[in-house]
Amino acid sequence: MSHLTIAMPKGRIFEEAYQMLIEAGFNLPEEVEMSRKLMIDIPEEDLRFILAKPMDVPVYVEHGVADIGIAGKDTLLELRRNVHELLDLKISQCYIASAGLPNTTMNEIAPRIATKYPNIAMNYYKELGEQVEIIELNGSIELAPMIGLADRIVDIVSTGRTLKENGLVEYEHITDVSSRLIANPVSYRMKSARIQELVSRLKKIVG
Amino acid sequence: MSSIKMFEKPLGMRDTFPIPYEKTEEVRQTGRDFLRSRGFDFIQTPSLEYFDTVGKASAIYDASLFKLVDSQGNTLVLRPDMTTPIARVATSKLLKEKIPLRLAYFANVFRAQQTEGGRPAEFGQMGIEIIGDKSVYADAEVIVTAVHLIQAFGIDSFKITIGHAGVLNCILRDYTDSKDQEDTLRSLLVKRNYVGFEEAVESFDLPKTKSDALLQFISEATNFASITDIEKYVRKNNELDYMQQLLELIDTAGLSEYVALDFTLSSHMNYYTGMLFEVFADGSGFALGNGGRYDGLLKHFGSEVGATGFGLRVDRLLEVIPSKPSAAQTVAVLFEDEAFSKALQTANALREEGKRVTLQSQKGLVNVEAFTNHFDEVVTVSQEDLAK
Repeated sequence: MSHLTIAMPKGRIFEEAYQMLIEAGFNLPEEVEMSRKLMIDIPEEDLRFILAKPMDVPVYVEHGVADIGIAGKDTLLELRRNVHELLDLKISQCYIASAGLPNTTMNEIAPRIATKYPNIAMNYYKELGEQVEIIELNGSIELAPMIGLADRIVDIVSTGRTLKENGLVEYEHITDVSSRLIANPVSYRMKSARIQELVSRLKKIVG
Repeated sequence: MSSIKMFEKPLGMRDTFPIPYEKTEEVRQTGRDFLRSRGFDFIQTPSLEYFDTVGKASAIYDASLFKLVDSQGNTLVLRPDMTTPIARVATSKLLKEKIPLRLAYFANVFRAQQTEGGRPAEFGQMGIEIIGDKSVYADAEVIVTAVHLIQAFGIDSFKITIGHAGVLNCILRDYTDSKDQEDTLRSLLVKRNYVGFEEAVESFDLPKTKSDALLQFISEATNFASITDIEKYVRKNNELDYMQQLLELIDTAGLSEYVALDFTLSSHMNYYTGMLFEVFADGSGFALGNGGRYDGLLKHFGSEVGATGFGLRVDRLLEVIPSKPSAAQTVAVLFEDEAFSKALQTANALREEGKRVTLQSQKGLVNVEAFTNHFDEVVTVSQEDLAK
């Protein structure tokens, strides 16, 4: 069997995905010492996990330094990397929506959208036939409409609580998001048997 | 935008230093000898072409084209691939002299980077085109040549995946209810978004038999062990017969172990009309090359004769090819002023032996040791040597 490198986002998604692999019958230690380690080797299964920022997972996989990876649909849509999307793991489900202050309309001359997903936001409004100006932010996006930086935000919504607490309302549901299993195109071919086996085992768990 | 520093190059442009340069030359030599021995003639086309001809016909996305304007105001492009210029020159001239044509190329192509680096905007491509032969034997020759060429480079671990645009189209058409649905599914396959494919199928509200067939197809289409596995999805047609024949020919050539089937292979360009394939090898995260039958491109240039071929990326070949140490020994011949003529003789004698000889005056050196460290052997020719 060929060696397999899996890129995973740090934190909750890693833990959920790791549990799924255990359920799928992979021989992994119950507890992994996470601390500050960026690489975890599992010699029993000839596996290596590399832990990355969620946005970076598709980059590692595209360049082939990781054979497969687990990435949010949001990062895949935003980065549009050349990777194969193999399986919806149905974990960390949420959606991308536009939101803003209640009872407001967008500025007619130059509507401004604050987001950390400039490509997703741009494409969405383009499809609607609306030309908008994108303001790229890295966090606390909800601030933007409150202090008059933007008319709308485009962001991830899971429970809607953050929006509510900041006095914002959801306007449009843009797309559903969940974690996906992705593969490098070369690995998908050269390690085909191993990856297929992993996919079919995970598929049974996902149901 | 920060100002450009003196050492900078445009995004994606790279210098070639001596060691990679030599390796590239070896690839060129190996490939050239190999392809010429199979009757392929090498040609070259200009770096610049008109946007309206080659630029528009090329399979490369518009955003990746380097565009320039000539003094008459015409838009030009730096050639983004070699297949399109060769189709142009073949249809306008070469086909009148010989048919079918077997052409080969080794040339640099240009593709603009939109965002990050990490990949070159100019890179070498080596490949072949067989133009004017619509038979399955031409396609078989392309695949067999690709396998043997890769082997000639000393690469052992590689795979060629073959699909057929016609077979895929037939499946997509039969199991969907509209052209829109068919196009949506095809574009998801171009992006290799298998999850999106399943979601789309479920959202179409198709009769259960159709959607079940599509879902079943997508779950196994990249891994058919044999051509007979696809027969349950397609009614008997010419394309399927063609693929069967092609695989038989590859089998006859004894190359089945290098070939896998992938009936989801699809191109965003509709001129790929028949079989198409991709080449993968251990050692690079990106595909080594691709190929296929592109009769539609020839049609675009006004010819109906059909064409097929493949191209390999030289930059990725360099990543994959095992490196071997350079054979020639390097010698520095250092000489003092009066000993120049003797030094010339010494250097020539050593060159006769097949060594790489650098002739260097001692006067011109600041640090003799730092310089001579770069050589396998150092010979000093001094005035005393003259006396002997």
